[in-house]
Amino acid sequence: MKVIECNQVSKVYGNHHAVDQLSFTIEENKITGLIGRNGAGKTTLLKIIAGYLRKTSGEMNVFSEEPFNNLKVSANMIFVDDQMNFPTALNLGELLKAADSFYENWDMELAKRLFDYFSLNPKQRHDSLSKGMKSTFNMIVGLASRCSLTIFDEPTTGMDVSVRKDFYRALLKDYIAYPRTIILSSHLLNEIEDILEDILLIKDGEKYLHMSVSDVKEYAVGISGEGTIVNQWTKENEILYKKSLGTGSSYVVVKNDFTESMLERAKLAGLKISPVAAEDLCIYLTSKTNGGIDDVFDRS
Amino acid sequence: MSLIEVNYWEIIKKQYFFKLKAYSGVFTSMMVVQIIAFLLSLGGTGGSGGSGSSGFSYTTGYYNGSMIIAFTMMWALITGILITTKAYRNDDFTFVANRGTSNLSNMLFLLTASIIGGTLSMLSGYLLKVFVYLIFEVDMLFDVTHTISTLWLGIIASILYILLFSAIGYLVGVLAQISKSLIIILAAVVIGYPIYASTGTGQRDEPTLFIAITQFYQGESMLSLFALKVILTVTILFFTSLIITNRLEVKQ
Amino acid sequence: MIVQGDGTKPIYIQIAEWLETEILSENIKPDEKIYSQYQLAEMYNINPATAAKGLTILANEAVLYKKRGLGMFVSSKAKAIILKKRKGQTLKNLVTDLVSEAKRLDVSEAELIGMIKLANSQGEGK
Repeated sequence: MKVIECNQVSKVYGNHHAVDQLSFTIEENKITGLIGRNGAGKTTLLKIIAGYLRKTSGEMNVFSEEPFNNLKVSANMIFVDDQMNFPTALNLGELLKAADSFYENWDMELAKRLFDYFSLNPKQRHDSLSKGMKSTFNMIVGLASRCSLTIFDEPTTGMDVSVRKDFYRALLKDYIAYPRTIILSSHLLNEIEDILEDILLIKDGEKYLHMSVSDVKEYAVGISGEGTIVNQWTKENEILYKKSLGTGSSYVVVKNDFTESMLERAKLAGLKISPVAAEDLCIYLTSKTNGGIDDVFDRS
Repeated sequence: MSLIEVNYWEIIKKQYFFKLKAYSGVFTSMMVVQIIAFLLSLGGTGGSGGSGSSGFSYTTGYYNGSMIIAFTMMWALITGILITTKAYRNDDFTFVANRGTSNLSNMLFLLTASIIGGTLSMLSGYLLKVFVYLIFEVDMLFDVTHTISTLWLGIIASILYILLFSAIGYLVGVLAQISKSLIIILAAVVIGYPIYASTGTGQRDEPTLFIAITQFYQGESMLSLFALKVILTVTILFFTSLIITNRLEVKQ
Repeated sequence: MIVQGDGTKPIYIQIAEWLETEILSENIKPDEKIYSQYQLAEMYNINPATAAKGLTILANEAVLYKKRGLGMFVSSKAKAIILKKRKGQTLKNLVTDLVSEAKRLDVSEAELIGMIKLANSQGEGK
C-alpha cells in the first residue's frame, strides 16, 4: 500500500520555490531517510505531508487523502521536531497522559520505561528542559504514539552521541515489533543509514534520488590512480567529484556504470577502486561544483 | 498497521477536556481580575452626598457587582484573543486536530469560561453587599425585589455579556493571525471614530453608531429577546472565525 | 562480528558472510533454522530489509532453503557450496589484488610465483 503519493507538488513563497515539482511515493512500513542540505526544502515537504502547510500546486495524498486540514491524517500521523508545541501549564507527566488520550495506539508502558531510562522528571515542564532533553521527550512521544505514519524532522537536535545512538536503536526495535511507515530527516546520514531502508535525497526542493540504501551505496565508485589512466577510464562516465592527489594522481567519483569485469581490468591497469559512502555520495550529488570547497581556493 | 477511524465529535470532546486542563492559567487570571474588581468596588460604584443647614450630612453609595462584571467582560475579550495566538493554536496540532475541531473546542472552552465567569461575577456582586454591610456597618437599603428568579436572570445576562465579549475577542484574534495590519486598521477605527464624532467635525456630539450598537443589546428589557440577539451575534462571530481559520497554516 | 558501516563492504554482504562462517564452523547445522531477518536486524542494528537482502543472497546460492511460513533453513549442501564459492570468488579477488600490487612494485610473474611457492611450503612445514 502506498502511504504517501506526491505528484508534482510545489510550495512557493513569493518567488522562492521551497518545494519544486516534487514527485515520489513511499510504501507502507518502510523507514525512509529524507536527506538534503539546509534549505533544500525538507521541513517544508514534511509539513505538507503532515497537513500543516498547504501546497501551492500538485497533488499530495497521505493514506489516499489530501492531508491539509484532514482529521484522519492527523489521527494516524505524528510530526516530531525540536519545536513541538506543548501547553506550558502541563508538566511532562500530564503531557504523556494527554498524548495517551489522543493517540489510540499510544503505549504508556513504553513511554514510562523510556521516560525512566532517560531520567526525565514527570513533574518538570517542557519549557524548562534543555535542548537535548526536549528532543528526548519529543522522541518518546513520537515513539510511544505508534502512529501509522511517524515523521521525525531532525529529531536528534541537541542530543549527545549516546542518546542519539539509544534513540536510533529504540526506533529500530520498536519498528521491528510494530512495523510502521517512518520518515527520518537528518543531515547526519552516516548515523542513520544502517536503520534506513530507502533514501530520498532532495536538492533545491527537487527530488534528486530515491532508492534503497544498498543501491545508493553502489550508485558510485571512487577511482584513484595516475591521472591520465583515471581520465581514460572515466571519460564515458558522469563525474560527480574530482580531486587531485599529489602531482600526477587523482581521485574521481563517477556514477557506477561499470561491469564487474571492467572493474577487474581497471584494477589490473593499476587503478584503485573503492566504494563511496552514502553520506559522501549525497554531499557530492548536492554540491554545486565537482571539486567542492576546494574549488573556492583553487584559482589556477 | 491498520488505520484509526476518527470520530469528529469524539476528537472535539477530547480537545475540550485537554484545554480545560491546559488553559488553566486562564481561570487563574479570571480570579485575579475579579478580586481586583471586588476590592475596587468596596468603595462603592457610584453615589452622592449632601448636608443640611441643621448640621446633618449624608452620603449614599451603590454597592453592586457591575464593576466585577465589566472587568470580567474585559477578561473574556482578552482570553478570546489569547487562545487564538500561535502558542495556543499550535498546541492542538501536536496531537490530533484539524481546524474545525480546534475551533469548535475553543468555542466550547470560551462558553465554559463565560459560564464560570458570569456566575462568579454575579455571585460576588452579592458577596460584595454582604461584605460592605458587615464590615463597614453602613445602613443598607436592599433591593427587596431580589428573588431567586432575578438572581438567575442576572447570572444568565452576565454570562451572555461575557460570552459576547469573548466571541469578539476570538474574531479579533483570528483576524490578527491573518494579518497584523488588519488589527491596526481595526484599532484605528474603534479608537478614531469616537474621536472624530466628538470633535464636532462630524457635526455630532456623540458617537451615534456606538450608542446604537450598545442600545441594540442594552435597550432590550426582555431577557429572551436579549439572549436571542446575543446568541445570534456570537454565532455569526464564531462562524466568521471558523471560515477564516480554515485555510490557516500551522507554523512555528 | 561488528558491522562496518564505513562503506568498505555492503552490510548485506557482511551479513551473508557472517552467516556463511557460522555455517562453516557448524554453529548452525544443516536443516537447522537460521536467524530471521528481524533477529539479524536487532543483532546488528540494521534495517530488516538489509538483513533480508543478506538472506536472499544465500537462498539464491542454495545455501539456505525456504519453508513456507516457517522461515529459512540451512541446506544439506550448504558447506560445500560455501567452500566452492569462497575458492572461486574470494581467492580470485585476492589474487587479482596480488597481481596488481605486484605490477605496481615491478615484481615479475616468475618472482611472484616463487613467493607463492615459498609461502605455501612454509605453511606446510609448520
